[in-house]
Amino acid sequence: MAFTSKVRLLRILSSLFMNQCRHRGMRLCRADAGNSKAFVCSYHGWAYDIAGKLVDVPFEDRAYGKVDKEQWSPIKVPCLDTYKGLIFGCWDEQVPPLEEHLGGMKWYMDLMFDRVEGGTEAVGGVHKWVIDCNWKFAAEQFCSDMYHAPFSHISPVIAAMPPGADPSQAAWPMEGRQFSDPNGHGTGFFLNAPGFLQALLGEEVATYYEETSRPEAIARLGEIRGAQMDGSHMTVFPSLSFLPAINTLRAWHPRGPNQIEVWALTIVDKKAPASVKDAYRKAVLRTFSAGGILEQDDGENWTEIQKILRGHKARQTLFNAQMGIDNDRHDDPDLPGKTNYVYSEMAARGFYGRWQEMMMAESWADLSCGGVSDDSIKGEADNA
Amino acid sequence: MLKLIPSRAASAQEPTSPELQQEIEQFLYREAMMLDNREFDDWYALLADDIHYYMPTRYTRGKREMDKELSLLDEAALFDEDKASIGLRLRRLTTGMAWAEEPPSRTRHMISNVQIHTTDVDGEYEIECCFMVYRNRLERQTDIFVGARRDILRRSDNAEGWMLARRLMVLDQSTLLSNNLSVFF
Repeated sequence: MAFTSKVRLLRILSSLFMNQCRHRGMRLCRADAGNSKAFVCSYHGWAYDIAGKLVDVPFEDRAYGKVDKEQWSPIKVPCLDTYKGLIFGCWDEQVPPLEEHLGGMKWYMDLMFDRVEGGTEAVGGVHKWVIDCNWKFAAEQFCSDMYHAPFSHISPVIAAMPPGADPSQAAWPMEGRQFSDPNGHGTGFFLNAPGFLQALLGEEVATYYEETSRPEAIARLGEIRGAQMDGSHMTVFPSLSFLPAINTLRAWHPRGPNQIEVWALTIVDKKAPASVKDAYRKAVLRTFSAGGILEQDDGENWTEIQKILRGHKARQTLFNAQMGIDNDRHDDPDLPGKTNYVYSEMAARGFYGRWQEMMMAESWADLSCGGVSDDSIKGEADNA
Repeated sequence: MLKLIPSRAASAQEPTSPELQQEIEQFLYREAMMLDNREFDDWYALLADDIHYYMPTRYTRGKREMDKELSLLDEAALFDEDKASIGLRLRRLTTGMAWAEEPPSRTRHMISNVQIHTTDVDGEYEIECCFMVYRNRLERQTDIFVGARRDILRRSDNAEGWMLARRLMVLDQSTLLSNNLSVFF
């Protein structure tokens, strides 16, 4: 769908409403997609138009006399905004503006969403699957955990080596940085690791990325983001994650404390040729989806952590999250914000710190906009 | 919803024999057993060089839109593989570090409802069947995958007498109810 402006997009989105009938709470629309002139509840037949206004109540005159249609329309999403084609909604009317929430993360998000003229679009279809783990494992990993990649995901690297090659020679990039935002967001990336994308997604995707997308990205975003950053992972707090260049986007929907439903989309540059978009589609589903040869192993690890944590003693264990604790920097000449070495847990500490702060605060006004500093976490760890 | 998947069945069907039915069913059972026995090299040898191994995602749609229940060829799929990408998946399993299958899952492939259709190519048949794949791993994780398949089998002079030239699958789940998809169908 092509939107003429952000204003027009927001006007369309203003009709977004909770998929729940105001009579007995039945799910109004039970299809994933489709066309309809109205939403008619399958329980007692209350009917709503597609803008979410209650328009018909069966037997209204005799049974009710009068139902106030405005008052009993579905709950609207009160806060909506967009950033570079992404749509954000929040049920809390007091939430700070999106602009403020994204804060310093926008500079890093542009690596994926503002590389080329025309922006991005999603490949059709959604990978949806269920993992029996807490949502924070997934969000934390994409926020802060480059460290797992060389071990969790070593098998496809070895498998792609020529027959007879020495697996110990599988080299992983060692230079890069991590960023942590006070609002809990985080990202990490290698610097100057060419060849990374070709190894993961193949030649057609890599050729497009290097020869078409990269020169334009350098012009738009500058040297550090355009030319040097490779292999990024990132999480926008709390539960939206991306892998720029690999171009997977996912929302980790919590389904209670012990389960998530992953919704993963493949993102492509709008102006990329159709063959490149299809190469991206195939390469991403083969690597980062439920059956992807990298992502399969994440599902295994998170599920087993969660199972162990059901034990009374196991859930009291203190885990080590000290990596890079003395290496925070605020003075990187090329990178805004707080940064650390690429293999660090600074962004994880920022993510959990922000989460803890939100869980403890009574209101938005009680929340610092600075998140929790590594210094205070270190103090707690020393005391523990 | 297998009918939404492209078919190569000939418009004018030739008669098939009980002997052919028996031969093809026995091949399908042996192939399934290879996967359950983790004889992946033998299974890989049955794949034709031009194989397309494909499983679309599914949408929950209203009755009026049942013709749009499967993802399109240019949309998200659970598998969209060629011989090289299947080979990479299998080599991954041999590393001993493919954690989703290390320790390996216990699987059981059950094949039923086998229907044979002739095609316009000599020695190629289109086979429709149903599958149920049971996976159990580690202490108590259990997943059950049920669906239908449309295969193209090609006569061959290999030991089994057949090659698998195409496998198009429909899984009877819209949201995948497992933590990954690390088994073959």
